[in-house]
Amino acid sequence: MPTIFTVDPRSGVPLYLQLTEQIKRAIALGTLVPGEQLPTVKALALELTVNPNTVARVYRELERDGVIDTSPGRGSFVSAGPEARRAVADVARSAFEGAVREAKSLGLSREETHELMMRTIARWYEMENK
Amino acid sequence: MTAPLIALNGLTKRYGSFTAVDGVTFDVPEGSICGLLGPNGAGKTTTFKCMLGFVKPSAGTIAIAGAPVTPATFESLAYVPERASLYDNLTIADHLALYRRSYKHFDAARADELLALFSLEAKQKARHLSKGMRTAAALVLAFSMRPRVLILDEPSSGLDPIHQRHVLDLMIEAAANGAAVLFSSHQVGQVERAADSVAIMKRGKLIVSSVIDDLKSGEKIIEAVFAGPVPDLGDLARDPRILRTEQTGSLLRVVTRDENDAIAQRIFTLHPKSIRTIDLNLEEIFMNAVSGDQQ
Repeated sequence: MPTIFTVDPRSGVPLYLQLTEQIKRAIALGTLVPGEQLPTVKALALELTVNPNTVARVYRELERDGVIDTSPGRGSFVSAGPEARRAVADVARSAFEGAVREAKSLGLSREETHELMMRTIARWYEMENK
Repeated sequence: MTAPLIALNGLTKRYGSFTAVDGVTFDVPEGSICGLLGPNGAGKTTTFKCMLGFVKPSAGTIAIAGAPVTPATFESLAYVPERASLYDNLTIADHLALYRRSYKHFDAARADELLALFSLEAKQKARHLSKGMRTAAALVLAFSMRPRVLILDEPSSGLDPIHQRHVLDLMIEAAANGAAVLFSSHQVGQVERAADSVAIMKRGKLIVSSVIDDLKSGEKIIEAVFAGPVPDLGDLARDPRILRTEQTGSLLRVVTRDENDAIAQRIFTLHPKSIRTIDLNLEEIFMNAVSGDQQ
């Protein structure tokens, strides 16, 4: 598998969260497809030059969320089940939450935030229909 | 559960009235890399010397793979001091030959690969090596032993950025194969990248010992701006989940230790105009830890 992940260890966002999010995103975008094998913990740790325990934690959490299936001796694979689809929706949800939290923290009212959201939706979804 | 490969318990070293290492307790389990950080004179090197039996602790215990350190421990333990100790009149090849005779897991093929990795010539005599090359040669020797425990004091001092990255890769590979690695560094970024846990020392005491990602999850700055002056925080000011608060006019900055979401919610009830949570990287967390008044 080519390197499709980039993590920034110098960020204040925990590395395991960065990598979990990126793997979910890759599945959402179809860069990783159901049934595809993920690199081993060791291979991915060396590829990214990050700690193997951090990668192992990512795989454990993805396994727990039903995004990947790990079988001892065979490796980890992108799950074909509905949980994988639901988990990738998490990526969009948390981005959305972040945006709303930011709007609220800037002091926008509920109405103003709603208005802004509707305008943004109109803009991006109309672009798609043109 | 098997015993952690490295276990320090209440390690203390006094020189007269000066306490160089003061009750230090932490573990490094199999497959783990721990970065040891601290200002100069914090006691990092003394801790290493105690662990290796070069210095007798005043109190506390050290266990390597569950047992006290004996000469047999060094069969599977590699130590690279900050100033690499090599025999000046011997070549790198001579050193490798010595190691091959001394260590039963010594991997000669691996040594050749590592020499090439660090661009070292086996026929060079140690006394002709630059500081960085000496460090590299000592690392080649250490990693070729295939040790289960690695103790590295500033392992990248004098190395160029590419060779520094190789050192991190070697530590990661060793950990992935089950070794326990403890290394000190002044470069917080290296610890942040390669280590899963961090130990921070200050004036002989261990002031932080944690999984790095857990530290980053917990320690944040919550910044709130109010319409007028910052209101009275009430009992929030004494919340144990808060490390520190700073107030200037209408601006409140709270450094959290844990549960920053819950604290942000509490601050929200004081009706700030705006509030945001700022992530802190390990360097900022380190600076908070060593510059704070708290011991």
